Amino acid sequence: MPDSCLRSSVEKPVQEVLPVLPGNIRRLLDRLPETFLEQVEEIRLRQGRPLALGLARKDVFVSNDGNITGSASEAYLVTPADIDRLVQVISNSSLYALEEELKNGFLTLPGGHRVGVSGRAVMEKGKVKTLKHLSCFNIRISKEIIGAADAVLTHLVDRNRSTIYHTILVSPPRCGKTTLLRDLIRQISNGAPGSGLSGFTVGVVDERSEIAACYRGIPQRDVGMRTDVLDGCPKAEGMMLLLRVMGPQVIATDEIGRQGDIAALEEVMNAGVKVLATVHGSSIAELADRPSLAYLFRLRMVERFVILSRSRGVGTIEEIIDGKSL
Amino acid sequence: MFKLIGAVMVIVAAGLAGMALANAYARRPKELRQMRSALQMLETEIAYTATLLPDAFSQISLRCEQAVARLFDRAAAELKKMSGCTAREAWEAGINEYSVGTALTESDLSILRNLGNSLGVSDQTDQVKHLHLAMEQLKATVEKAEEEATRNVKLWNYLGFLGGLMVVLILY
Repeated sequence: MPDSCLRSSVEKPVQEVLPVLPGNIRRLLDRLPETFLEQVEEIRLRQGRPLALGLARKDVFVSNDGNITGSASEAYLVTPADIDRLVQVISNSSLYALEEELKNGFLTLPGGHRVGVSGRAVMEKGKVKTLKHLSCFNIRISKEIIGAADAVLTHLVDRNRSTIYHTILVSPPRCGKTTLLRDLIRQISNGAPGSGLSGFTVGVVDERSEIAACYRGIPQRDVGMRTDVLDGCPKAEGMMLLLRVMGPQVIATDEIGRQGDIAALEEVMNAGVKVLATVHGSSIAELADRPSLAYLFRLRMVERFVILSRSRGVGTIEEIIDGKSL
Repeated sequence: MFKLIGAVMVIVAAGLAGMALANAYARRPKELRQMRSALQMLETEIAYTATLLPDAFSQISLRCEQAVARLFDRAAAELKKMSGCTAREAWEAGINEYSVGTALTESDLSILRNLGNSLGVSDQTDQVKHLHLAMEQLKATVEKAEEEATRNVKLWNYLGFLGGLMVVLILY
């Protein structure tokens, strides 16, 4: 099986994030060595608590004098003023325009980085209407890796019918599944002569703005030239919408799992449109235990399962399974 | 002869000074009304289209009266610099620019300054509430300013000339 370790091709994505941070925090981070900053995957700010940086395997605090520390007592504590300023900058001074985003608990920055937000939920008719008193922020630095799918793509091309197989990427969280999906979408959309693939029209339902990382509707990531992105739309509804109006040859989406998603997927496959999706899990056996996915297996329509892990670094491809052999 | 020229100059100068004062009284209700209608536009942008504040400011600066436009233009520019400045700071910068040469008094400007504290930091309903409050306050101020204008415009128009005339008579 192919073995590929993902490396970021975008230079210093963390530099895109620093400008949204309050000035004093930005100055603290500026003092850190650049090689260290590049490994940072998350920046976490919680009001009154230590400023934390998430790395691949652990998290560290930043001290008052701009050094890395493991002890919370030396760490810089995030002030209410820091939080205020952060909210203003990430919301473009327009919190009122972000009610929908707050309801979902995240917003997207220019450059496609996601900020997870939590605070106090405001309820209306038993549902979250919006959040207020925002106090915890997780800025996830999104890394685009061009070429992440090179090794996999050849296994997903149906050379006899010059198209791709219905494919599901299976992976636990943070193993590079969205990154892989994004690059697959880009290559399928642009065409990959090396794998004998001409370009396809791809429709992407990007419910959580993770794949194309749209900022005001414009993809911030390279998702290919024949790709239409439906941003922020529930998957099942979105797939039907794209199927009806955009005439896609391939429909891609992230993290399927609910009954409705599977039904929509079935409909898409029956319409002769190829499917590319991801699902949380670490093995086929584990997936088969989930009722909605067990139904998907019984349909026997998915032709390829790609299993990812972190065993040899983020984005390790453990196995590619032929759906017909199951 | 020189005395006569001097006398005419005193009268003209005093008259013009009076007229300038009268003019400020007359301009104040007008500018207050313009400011109020600009805030009305801001309310529409926020409540109906949820336009982002920097964009809303630039659009309003294009549509509203020139004097008021300076405030919005400057505030939009500050926000678009992406220098990490908050809406309150940008609004404050706009007010400082606007306050030069305006007929508005310090207490009028403080209504706007108060509004700045809440711009952009809460949900739509709350934003609308704060805008309504500012508009109501401006409306009350307009009424007062109009009363003052009717009293003072005529007064100062005459008082300037008459004052000049009196000085001339005393000195002549």
